[in-house]
Amino acid sequence: MIKRVEINYRGVFQKTLGRKIGGDLVLIARRLDKVGFSNGRYSDAPERNGLPSKYFTFISSTMTEAELEAECGGKLDIDAADVTVVLDDTLLAGVEPWAWHGIRPVNEKTQAGGALIVVSRHAPDDLVPRLERKPYTYHLAVLAGETSLSGMWVFRDDLTHERVLGAIAAVDPSIVTIEAVEQHLLTRADGTARAAAARAAYDEVTTGTTTVQPTDGRVWPFEAPSLPSWQGFREAATVVAVPRQGRNVTFPRGTSKTERPVVRFDLCTKCTLCWLDCPDGAFDPVAGGHYDVDYAYCSGCGKCAEVCPVKDCIVMVDELRFDDTVSPWAAYQRDAPAYLAWAEEKTSVRPPERPHVSGRMAPVTTSSRS
Amino acid sequence: MAIAPPVDIAAREDLLTGCQAVAEGVRLANVDVIAAYPIRPYTEVMDNLSKMIADGTLDAEYIVADSEHSQFEIVKHASAVGARAFAGSSGTGWLYGYEALVVTATDRLPVLYLVGNRALDDPGAFGVEHNDALSLRDMGWLLCWATTAQEALEHVLIGYRVAEDLRVRMPMALALDGAFLTHSQHIVQVPAAEAVRRFLPTYDPGEHRLHPDNPISVAPQVNEDWVMEIRRQNWEAARRAKVVIAEAYQEFAEVFGPRYETPYFTETMTKDADAILIGLGTVAMPAVESVRRLRAEGKRVGYINLRWFRPFPTEELRLALGHAKAVGVIDRDFAHGAPDGGGVLFHDVRSCLYPIGDGPLAIDFIAGLGGRDISIDETTAMFEKTLAVGTGAPTREFVTWVGVRESEKEVRP
Repeated sequence: MIKRVEINYRGVFQKTLGRKIGGDLVLIARRLDKVGFSNGRYSDAPERNGLPSKYFTFISSTMTEAELEAECGGKLDIDAADVTVVLDDTLLAGVEPWAWHGIRPVNEKTQAGGALIVVSRHAPDDLVPRLERKPYTYHLAVLAGETSLSGMWVFRDDLTHERVLGAIAAVDPSIVTIEAVEQHLLTRADGTARAAAARAAYDEVTTGTTTVQPTDGRVWPFEAPSLPSWQGFREAATVVAVPRQGRNVTFPRGTSKTERPVVRFDLCTKCTLCWLDCPDGAFDPVAGGHYDVDYAYCSGCGKCAEVCPVKDCIVMVDELRFDDTVSPWAAYQRDAPAYLAWAEEKTSVRPPERPHVSGRMAPVTTSSRS
Repeated sequence: MAIAPPVDIAAREDLLTGCQAVAEGVRLANVDVIAAYPIRPYTEVMDNLSKMIADGTLDAEYIVADSEHSQFEIVKHASAVGARAFAGSSGTGWLYGYEALVVTATDRLPVLYLVGNRALDDPGAFGVEHNDALSLRDMGWLLCWATTAQEALEHVLIGYRVAEDLRVRMPMALALDGAFLTHSQHIVQVPAAEAVRRFLPTYDPGEHRLHPDNPISVAPQVNEDWVMEIRRQNWEAARRAKVVIAEAYQEFAEVFGPRYETPYFTETMTKDADAILIGLGTVAMPAVESVRRLRAEGKRVGYINLRWFRPFPTEELRLALGHAKAVGVIDRDFAHGAPDGGGVLFHDVRSCLYPIGDGPLAIDFIAGLGGRDISIDETTAMFEKTLAVGTGAPTREFVTWVGVRESEKEVRP
C-alpha cells in the first residue's frame, strides 16, 4: 500500500509552505508507525517566481522505507496521486513548469476516487469547469481562504499549512488521521491554535466535498509537447532562438500569473510606460498609439498597473475571473461599450490588499493599489 | 585544534534532506572553518550551516567566497593552520575550483567536501550526474558516495576520521546524488555530540601545522629531482588509507553499533549470483527492488552498492564479483572516447576483474544522466541483459545506453 500526495504550489512564493506540508505528512505518518519520505518534483529546481512547482509525499504502512523509495523515489514526477493539493487556485488555469512539459492540468495525476483540495475564495461550481475532464469520479474539497504567498526566506504563518493537513485527514484518513495531525501540531508553539485550525478545516471538508463526475470539467485544450530523439535535433547544444521582435512560442509562461491586468483603453493617455516597463515584453503597440496585452505571455507581475499614471486605467484582477487569452484591444475594437462593461465587471472584485515590505526597515504597510 | 569547545547536542530523530544531514554531521564534527559559495544542489548545506552558526549551535568561521576557486583555497589554508574545514560544491562549480582541489590533495590537507552531484555544463542542467566528483579520480582523494541521508551524516564523521589520520592526510569528497538525495526529506537518527566525540578525535596536523613556532614551507617549487618521490609518497598514502578505513569502521561500530557490514560497499544477494550489477548512489534503490523481483522468479542476481570509489576496493570487489558469470556496471556518468565507449566506473571494474583468469564478463549501462530517472523496469532489464550475456555467447558490444530517446516521444504519454 502506497499513498501518494502531491502539493501544487507557486514556485518560490509558496516553497516553504509546500515543503512544510510535505514534511509534516511524513512526521505525522511516523506517529502512526508508517514509513514515508517527501521530495520535490526534480524538474522544478531551480524554482522561478510564480512558476508552478510540486512537492510529493509518499507514505506506506506495509513497505520498508527502502522499498517505498525504490517505487517512488528518484523520479522526475509522481505516477498518480491519491490526494492533489492546490495551494493557489489560479493554478487551475494550467501548470507550465520551468522544465516545460506544456500547459498541463493541475488534476492531471488525480486518480479515480482520489481527492483534489484547493485553497480558494471561489465556490466549487466556479472551479470545476476549469479542471480537465476525467473518465472517472473523484472528489473536490475547497478550503475557503486567500492564497497564502510568502517569500523564499520568510514564511507567512497564516494557518494555511495546518488547514491543509486537516483537509488531507478529512479526504483520506488512511494517509493521516485528524487525531495524529492534532497531536503533531500540539507539539509546536501556539499548538492549540494550530490544532484547532486543522480540526476546523477537517470539519469543513468532511461536510462539504463535491464529487466531480466524468461529464464535468473541460476537454483540456493544450497538447503535451514531444521531444526529439537524440538524432532528431542539431548538435553543439544549440537551438533556434526567438526572432527579433518575436515571442517564444514554445514557452509562453502565461500560467505563472495569479492576476492579470485589465486595461481601460478609453482612459489611456498613451504614455507608453506599460509597454516600456513590462519585463516580459507582453505589450504590443497598435495603431493609434495604444498598447495591446498578450495575456499568454503576461506573467502577472503588476508592473504595468504600478507605473500607469492614470487612476483605474490598468487594474490587476484575479486570474480565475478569466478563461481565455483573447486580445483585449481586438475586443475593444469590435465593440468598445461591451468591452468597457466587461472591464468594469472584471475589476469590480479587487484582489486583497497585500502587505508591503520595502526591505528598508520601514514599517510594514498595506500596498497602495489605486 | 577546535576553535571553541563543541556545543552539546543530544541524540534525536529528525526529518532531514541529504544536505541537512551533511550539515548535522559537520556540526557534530565541530568544524572550525566553513567556506561557502552557492550552487545548487549543494547550496542547502550552506543555508543550514549558516543558520546553525546564527543560532549559536555551531561555532565556526563562515566565509562566503567570491567563487569556488577562492572557496577551496580558503579551506585549504585553514586546514594547513590546524582548522577542521568544510566546503562543497556541485557540477560546474566544483570544476571551477579544480586547481585548488588538486593542490589540496598534493599538499595532503584533510578537508572534507560535499559534492552535490550535478551534470556538468554545457548545456546547463541541474540533475544528477557523477562526472563532477569523478573528475578527482586520479588526484589522490578519498571519494565516497552516500545513498541515504543517514549514510551522508555518518560519512562526514567517518570521512574526517580517515582523512585526518596521520597515515592518510588526504582530502575527502562525499558525493550525494543531486535532488534525489540532497533534497529528499527522510527520517534520520542524529547521534549525540558526546558519542561523536568518542569516535572522532580533534584534528591535529602535528609537524605539518603551519605556524610561526613550526617553521615549514608547504609546496615550494621543485624540479625534476623531487616530483616523482612526492608522487610516490601520495600513492602510498592512498594505499594506507585502506587500513585506516577498516579501522575507522570498526571504531564506528564500537561507538554507534553495527551499521556497515563492510566499509566499501553493500551487497544484496550477491553470494550465489550469476549476474551482479554494481553502481554508485541512489540507483541502488530501483536496482535492489529489481533483485527482489527477479529472485522471486528464481533468477540468480545480486547488486553491489559501491560506497568508496577512491581508494578503489580492488581486492574486495574481486572477491565479491569473481564468481559471477557477468557483471553489469551502471554508469551515471560518461567517458566520451574511452575504451569501448564505457563509462568511468566500468573501466575501474573491468580493470579490477582483468587479472582473474576466466572471470566474469563486464558490460556497461550508461543511464540516468542529467537527472533522468532510472526506473525499476530499467534496472530489471539491465539485470536480464547481464544474465543473458553471462550465459550466452560473449559479446563485443559492451555498452548500452539506457533511457536515451531513440525516437520522438511525447512528454506526457
